[in-house]
Amino acid sequence: MASNIGESAGARASVASQFFNEDTKSIDMTTSEKVVDLLNQAALISTDSKLTVLKQVQELIINKDPSLLDNFLDEIIAFQTDKSMEVRKFVIGFIEEACKRDNELLPRLIANLNMLLKDESVNVLKKAILTLTQLYKVALQWFVRSRVMSDMQEACWDMVTQMKEDVLNLLDMDNDGVRTHAIKFTESLIITLSPRTSDSDTPKRQEGDISLDKIPKDHPYIRYDTLCEEGKSALEQLLRFMVHPAISSINLTTALGSLATLARQRPMFMSEVVQAYETLHANLPPTLAKSQVSSVRKNLKLHLVAVLKHPCSLEFQGQISTLLLDLGMSQNEITRNTPAPREQRKRPRNEPYSDGKKIKMEPVLIEDDEDKEEPAPTSISKPSSVPVAQSAIDLTADFLRPLLSPENVANLVLISMVYLPDVMPASFQATYTPVESAGTDAQIKHLARLMATQMTSAGIGPGLEQCKAREEEAGKDEGLDDGLGESSKDLLIKRKAPAMGQAISVVGGGYTEKSQIPQVKRLPEPILPSMQIKTPGAGGKRKVFKLADVVQPFTDAQLEKMTNMAVKRILHSEKSIAQSGMAHVRVKLLSRLVCQFEGMMMDDVLEFILEDIRTRMDLAFSLLYQEYNTYLSQQPVGLLDAYDHCLFTLLAGLQERPEQRDGLFTKLVLEAPLITQSALEVIRRYCEDESRVYLGMTTLKELILKRPSRQFQYLHVLLDLSSHEKEKVRSNALSFVKRMYEKNQLRDYIEKFALNYMQLLVHPNPPSLLFGADKDTEVASPWTEETVRQCLYLYLSLLPLNHRLVHELASVYTEAIADIKRSVLRVIEQPIRGMGMNSPDLLLLVENCPKGAETLVTRCLHILTDKVPPSPELVERVRDLYHKRVPDVRFLIPVINGLEKKEVIQALPKLIKLNPIVVKEVFNRLLGTQHSEGSSSMSPLTPGELLVALHNIDSTKCDMKSIIKATNLCFGERNVYTSEVLAVVMQQLMELSPLPILLMRTVIQSLTMYPRLGGFVMNILSRLILKQVWKYPKVWEGFVKCCQRTKPQSYSVLLQLPPTPLTSVFERCPELREPLLQHVHSFTPHQQAHIPASIMTVLEANNKEPEPEAIRPLIMEKKVEAAPATIAPVTIAPRATIAHPATVAQPATFTIPASIAPPATITQAAIITPMATVSVQAEPVSVPVKEPEPPVQQLVTIKVEEEEPMDEGETATAIHEDTADTVLQVDLPVLEENPPQDPAETTDEPDEEPMEEAPTDPSDVTDQLKDVMKDITTEPETDTGKAE
Amino acid sequence: MPSHPLRVAVVCSSNQNRSMEAHNILSKRGFDVRSFGTGSHVKLPGPAPDKPNVYDFKTTYEQMYNDLVRKDKELYTQNGILHMLDRNKRIKSRPERFQSCKDQFDLVITCEERVYDQVLEDLSSREQETFTPVHVINVDIQDNHEEATLGAFLICELCQCIQHTDDMENEMDELLQEFEDKSNRPFLHTVCFY
Repeated sequence: MASNIGESAGARASVASQFFNEDTKSIDMTTSEKVVDLLNQAALISTDSKLTVLKQVQELIINKDPSLLDNFLDEIIAFQTDKSMEVRKFVIGFIEEACKRDNELLPRLIANLNMLLKDESVNVLKKAILTLTQLYKVALQWFVRSRVMSDMQEACWDMVTQMKEDVLNLLDMDNDGVRTHAIKFTESLIITLSPRTSDSDTPKRQEGDISLDKIPKDHPYIRYDTLCEEGKSALEQLLRFMVHPAISSINLTTALGSLATLARQRPMFMSEVVQAYETLHANLPPTLAKSQVSSVRKNLKLHLVAVLKHPCSLEFQGQISTLLLDLGMSQNEITRNTPAPREQRKRPRNEPYSDGKKIKMEPVLIEDDEDKEEPAPTSISKPSSVPVAQSAIDLTADFLRPLLSPENVANLVLISMVYLPDVMPASFQATYTPVESAGTDAQIKHLARLMATQMTSAGIGPGLEQCKAREEEAGKDEGLDDGLGESSKDLLIKRKAPAMGQAISVVGGGYTEKSQIPQVKRLPEPILPSMQIKTPGAGGKRKVFKLADVVQPFTDAQLEKMTNMAVKRILHSEKSIAQSGMAHVRVKLLSRLVCQFEGMMMDDVLEFILEDIRTRMDLAFSLLYQEYNTYLSQQPVGLLDAYDHCLFTLLAGLQERPEQRDGLFTKLVLEAPLITQSALEVIRRYCEDESRVYLGMTTLKELILKRPSRQFQYLHVLLDLSSHEKEKVRSNALSFVKRMYEKNQLRDYIEKFALNYMQLLVHPNPPSLLFGADKDTEVASPWTEETVRQCLYLYLSLLPLNHRLVHELASVYTEAIADIKRSVLRVIEQPIRGMGMNSPDLLLLVENCPKGAETLVTRCLHILTDKVPPSPELVERVRDLYHKRVPDVRFLIPVINGLEKKEVIQALPKLIKLNPIVVKEVFNRLLGTQHSEGSSSMSPLTPGELLVALHNIDSTKCDMKSIIKATNLCFGERNVYTSEVLAVVMQQLMELSPLPILLMRTVIQSLTMYPRLGGFVMNILSRLILKQVWKYPKVWEGFVKCCQRTKPQSYSVLLQLPPTPLTSVFERCPELREPLLQHVHSFTPHQQAHIPASIMTVLEANNKEPEPEAIRPLIMEKKVEAAPATIAPVTIAPRATIAHPATVAQPATFTIPASIAPPATITQAAIITPMATVSVQAEPVSVPVKEPEPPVQQLVTIKVEEEEPMDEGETATAIHEDTADTVLQVDLPVLEENPPQDPAETTDEPDEEPMEEAPTDPSDVTDQLKDVMKDITTEPETDTGKAE
Repeated sequence: MPSHPLRVAVVCSSNQNRSMEAHNILSKRGFDVRSFGTGSHVKLPGPAPDKPNVYDFKTTYEQMYNDLVRKDKELYTQNGILHMLDRNKRIKSRPERFQSCKDQFDLVITCEERVYDQVLEDLSSREQETFTPVHVINVDIQDNHEEATLGAFLICELCQCIQHTDDMENEMDELLQEFEDKSNRPFLHTVCFY
């Protein structure tokens, strides 16, 4: 804005003072700064204001300060890619102005103009043509001036020449407006490329323009003759263009105008121009509408008059005025427009004659009069003044005239009647004037001329042939008028007879005076070919130029290089092409090219795409489809290699990209016409990438679902991935497979795959299939947990979806080796739980329980009942199984809560003989302590009943040790066995008859747990006395201990004993006597009186011999004294160990230190003690021999084997194997553990320390070690592995 | 050519009735329009057919108006000449002669064949410089008020159609054919160059 005001202010010197500020401001700001400012603005604003601003810039740097032109050239030219057509047009205008201002800029700008000449917008194109019209002259002038041309200038001129050709070719473009501009360009070009002569009618403004005559013939680069030829050929082109039958009216009028201009400025072409006018007049294009015909005729008239006004038209006045008369112009007007200067010279001959006639004839028939009159003088003047101009038409007309006898003409009319059109053509209607002077000489002449015009344009007639001959001659003998005249005459004579026949036969197609026009319209085509035949013939003679002579074939390397470069240019012109909106063309082009050249540039292009695949996706697809198309088109032999390479590279490239959020990979895969094997590999790799696994799998899923023809191929990949080593990949694959599994058509395939995979487990070694291709397959590598799982992942995930599959597992399981079995048992938990205990197939499995699959079934049962109570159906099946087929009590454990009370009690002896952990589990189940959440009440036995039942177990059915362990387990559950429960239990036990052996043990333990039960216990003791407790040795023993523990409370109970038992008490526990005695002494005399004397005797009796009834030696009692807490073990344990031969063999070695265990660990100690004896005994044997290992090993082995009978129910071979394995494995730890103990034991006394550490029971040892080996982490107590 | 408004010239012989009527309507429709006459003088009907009022092109409409009021207000009010002049002076101050105008147009519309010829003659007699094309179209309109109004609407419709073409030069031929059929009158059409 400021600059605007400033400028205007500057322009007007006397501007009001308020502009002063702006004025100075604009001065302060240099023009350069202003331009920069404006250009910056221009980059950001809308098209309209952009134009304004740019125009300001143009003004500044072209007119105000041209020194800046060079600086800002690039910035302005940059706008040539602007979206707005107007801005681009401005750039063209700028180029024109700049080049005119400074010719040196031409070489720099011409290429830009060339580019704009290819613009998609016709308006820009038109503007470019206009500019080239100007710049062509400017360029030529500039180059002519500089005598020495640089390479750059030469290149520039070559380009200008090329552009000129391009524009000439635009004459064939389908846009009317563009053709119009091209015509004008051609006009200007012809004028430039032809010499200006003295009679040229040059407009003032173009006085200084370059033309051929100003071009030096010795210019180093610009060849005079070449230009001359180019000018002539341009004229030919224009003339040819004009006779095109489908020319539009606008083009036609334009061309007419151009011809008039040519004729006036270059009179040398007048003959061609007039002839063209004549031809046109006789052959108006049939496509023109009526009004267009009048427009064209009007134009023709206008231009003819213009030509006529030119002094050189004299020679053609006859033709011109004939035409003008035909067009409806009056003779008067014609005369008025006929030029004066030349006329003066000729007047002596012509004027009086014509004038005289005119005056006479004017009132009547002006036109026909002229027809008659005018030709006469022209025909006279023609041969004399311009023999050269005697064209083919003239010759033919002369030839025809004598032939047009009335008879001939009548025949012609009759013949041609057949060819008349049904409807009168518009042009005929418009131009028809009745022929009233028919038969006159002038009319015949006119007719002859019209016919000659037609024949010549049809390429026949003697005139044409003569002309040809003349042209040939002209090569040798130029400009010899006489010779020419003669030869033409000779030819004329010679040709006369044959030519006539020819004429008639040819023109017979349609010749009559007026109907010739429509007739020719019907067959317009021949005109073109004939013209074309002429041109190349002429050109061929003049130009000896042969392309093959000048050029040399490129070498292959050059070719390749150039092709590559070309493609690269297209490739990298992405942005500019996109701006011009032709991106799709580029894409198409590139893909076609690349496909055709088979891979040479493929990699470049692919790389290019991958650089920014998001925006170049369309190119990628175009390429893919092109390749695929190529493949299809070469069916059945076509190779997919190229396509495969393309797709593979793209996918692989995409896969390597760090960011994937756009889903391009998926898009590419899904839209590719075909997924090849290698592409599938890439997809697979993609899926294996943990960060992309989901996207990859989704893609794969889509593929499977949307490409049914190859879905199994894709599905196979997905299935393969389902056993992938990476957890994330695998789990994703599995979840996708599960979804696939819902589709019926895929179901079978998936199932088969899963089962096949599982079947691998029966092989002794994992097949190489399980290891990826990359890993070295060692045939002998053993099964590992991992490989086993690998085979099962898919199967297990399908299992909950299809329960029937479970039977397959069972059959595989029976065949598999032990390691695999173990792994299987571990992994099935989740799926089995998923199936639920109501699954009919699972129930069926339990019912059938294939031989060898017992452990599997047990495991299933455990899993099922782990958290929920068993269903009646399940219980029923298990019960059946147990009773009818496999009497293994372990089957019952999972469903124990579903059994009836009676059954439980029946099974109890067997159950508690199982290993402690299993027993513990059984109890947990029974006591409902395991699954805290609800349904503990489902137990068939109350805790009390359980404890009572334990006491009732027949010791012949079960060893006491197990029973004790079992009761200990009960006591361990303090929450369940509250004091109340225990009280009830004791109450019930006491009422049994006979008294249970373990009664007192239970009483003592209850008391230990709940000291407040003391009173209740006293009551019990008292009642036991009534039951003559001393008759049950074991109970009695316990009774005594209990009394001992509960003193002084128990004193009153003791005093209730009859004398004999009391004696027994003192025998067992002498230290009781004295306190009891004192207790009695503390009684009041009255009270003392109540004590029977016999009792007192016993109390007071001293040091009596121990009774033979005593069960245990004195040592035992001592020990009891020392450690009151360990009463129970001491009394009971020896008996419990009866089952162990080793222990039985040496009962005397019970020299265990009294302080074996602190009172708090009663239960533990109770178990430990007897078992410890085993190892303790073992060691003394081995140590003295100094060969500890073998014996120990033997011993342990033996023990394990001894233990076997305990598990009577075990029949499964698998379990045997298992056990054997375990035994072997057990050896080592035992060996390692024992030797270190030896020195300690030999030096010191056999201490309790090793005993505590040492395994408590052979069976326990094995179990614990098994634990270690199996590495069971989750829920060891439920593991069936331990049940064995 | 939607990019820039069509530059239109409407030409009749005296730049009074037909061209001004069209000028009026076209400018109301937003065209970049000018009007001209091609005659050597401005002629307005006089008291008798052989006694026209003749002015030169320098005379303003205002002056003509005043002159006619002075001469015979009754007559010129009745035949609508005063009304016409009154309208004209509100559009521009004075009539213009086509031959004297060197501005360039995209489209020249003439109102009778004679005017068309004169325009063509003038245009082709000018020295060509830029080769920018100008389309000249003749629409025959009788020189009276009613026809002038009808003709103006026709011209306006034509201009609007041309304005709306994407590529005026390419579609002009077809468009004119359609218009010929529709309006049932022939159009002369040619192209000249500046």
